[in-house]
Amino acid sequence: MTVAPRPFAVRGATSIRAAGHPVRVWLRANAALLLVLPTLVFLGCFLVAPYVDMLVMSFRNPSTTSVFAPGYTVGNYTRALTDPFYLAVLAKTIAFGAVTTAICMVIAYPVAYHLARTRSRFRGLLYVCVLSPLLVGVVVRCYGWIILLANNGLINNAVKKLGLAPHGLPLMYNAFGVGIGLVHVFLPFMVLPILSAIQSIDPALEDAARSLGASRARTMFRVVIPLSLPGIQAGAILVFVLTISAYVIPVLLGALKFKMMSTLVIQLLIDAFLWPFGAALAFILSASGAAIVYLFIRATGRLMKGMA
Amino acid sequence: MRLNRLWARPGRVLFLGFVIAAYVFLLLPLAIVVLASFNAGELLTFPPQGLSLRWYLHFFNSTPFMVSLYFSLKLAAGVMVLSTLLGTAAALYVVRFAGKWRDVLRLLIVGPLLLPEVLSAVALLFFFYSIGFGKTVGALVVGHVLITLPFAFLAVSSVLYNFDTSLEDAARSLGAGKFTTFRRITLPLIKPGVISGGLLAFIVSFDLFAVSLLLKGIGMETLPIQLFDYVTWDFDPTAAAVSTVSIAITLIMVLLMERMVGLRSLRF
Repeated sequence: MTVAPRPFAVRGATSIRAAGHPVRVWLRANAALLLVLPTLVFLGCFLVAPYVDMLVMSFRNPSTTSVFAPGYTVGNYTRALTDPFYLAVLAKTIAFGAVTTAICMVIAYPVAYHLARTRSRFRGLLYVCVLSPLLVGVVVRCYGWIILLANNGLINNAVKKLGLAPHGLPLMYNAFGVGIGLVHVFLPFMVLPILSAIQSIDPALEDAARSLGASRARTMFRVVIPLSLPGIQAGAILVFVLTISAYVIPVLLGALKFKMMSTLVIQLLIDAFLWPFGAALAFILSASGAAIVYLFIRATGRLMKGMA
Repeated sequence: MRLNRLWARPGRVLFLGFVIAAYVFLLLPLAIVVLASFNAGELLTFPPQGLSLRWYLHFFNSTPFMVSLYFSLKLAAGVMVLSTLLGTAAALYVVRFAGKWRDVLRLLIVGPLLLPEVLSAVALLFFFYSIGFGKTVGALVVGHVLITLPFAFLAVSSVLYNFDTSLEDAARSLGAGKFTTFRRITLPLIKPGVISGGLLAFIVSFDLFAVSLLLKGIGMETLPIQLFDYVTWDFDPTAAAVSTVSIAITLIMVLLMERMVGLRSLRF
């Protein structure tokens, strides 16, 4: 009875001596928080605050003499959503994003399947080739396409010399040129998720389907593709979101002749100084993108459940 | 023999042909830029008019290009250090200690990667103006760190998820302090993630365009911006030489990554 309380007394005494002030007690228990604190402060100041600032901006009254007038309104949103011009650009941007995503899917799937199943010793090299559009700057990539596709570029020079089309082909400053640039840079975002999805499929399943008499094509369409749907879904979402918000490629390869929503938004914000209206338009684009991604996830989710 | 077997299966030939065409498409613009930079002629024509290094000479003698190359390298190095420090520490917390907050924190830190780069840049520009920070080197660094931070974070956290914590427990039970355990056990084990994340941050910062375009002040031309200006007005192959040098710098970083940690560590 007289011995038992001692350890408690000792432990209590040291912890009070070491801890002291309640703030210090809390810090000691959560010292690991210090690891993430700098990042949290950084993102709070330079990611969350700027976006909140922009959201507030989109509800401010427009002004002709300064960037905004006092007071708040939803007029920027109603104006954008009732103007046929902006709606048409929005629809065009979304349609363009869908087509780009579909083309990426068709090109990426065979590449991903090959890379997942090949036993070549150049595997690592092929992997770097797939990543290469991401590793090289956007200006350099576009410059390469400009050399090829411009009105006096390599392809048009060749076409003119061969007499196929005396005035050359319109390969740039239109949807075709921008589409090529976008498919090229976003292809890795489609290949990588599909690649990891295919890698997680046991090759024995394919062997089983084949040995049960299914043709190669049937095995592909009934076994491999359904099992890799999660990868296709992830890749499609990434490519779609990136495409509808792409800015630099439409500017470089489309000049100002092929207008997408993001180029329009930046033009309004930077050149025309219409900050409230431009901010509203930016959020309308983001919200439409998010809504389409949500519908896409619901639709494909049902499809995947049906197959499983 | 192998070819014979291959031709017996037209589907396989079609498949491989398609895959090869896709790789050609992926590498085409880069190959064209590199080839054009060695072309002797004034204009970009095909077939090339002989080999020459004159456009490289033109590049190395051009003060604006050399100044911007130097500025870009300095900026990318600084951004690499900052992003790696922030990203590594944050990854350690998120994977080890975050508990129920893990997914929220992950989403927040990866956020700049999911949000449109140009929109983040515009939001930052407005924000810096409203707090009176303006277009300074600091603003540019903040923009670059914001975009590159997710890469460093993802690279380190993917290593941490496959980390055997019993090694740390062993060190601690053998009497090592927390800091010694971190220095001698944790750090060497997460090194591949830290290095590949840092090098990736360097590459991304070196090539960043939209953020630099909106946040740069006067005299803060990075190499991609200088290149963009040049391509807008001139059509001579100096731009191709600049592009090739910039591709070479990226390639050196990729090779460094491969030699130091292997490209396999680039799993997200």
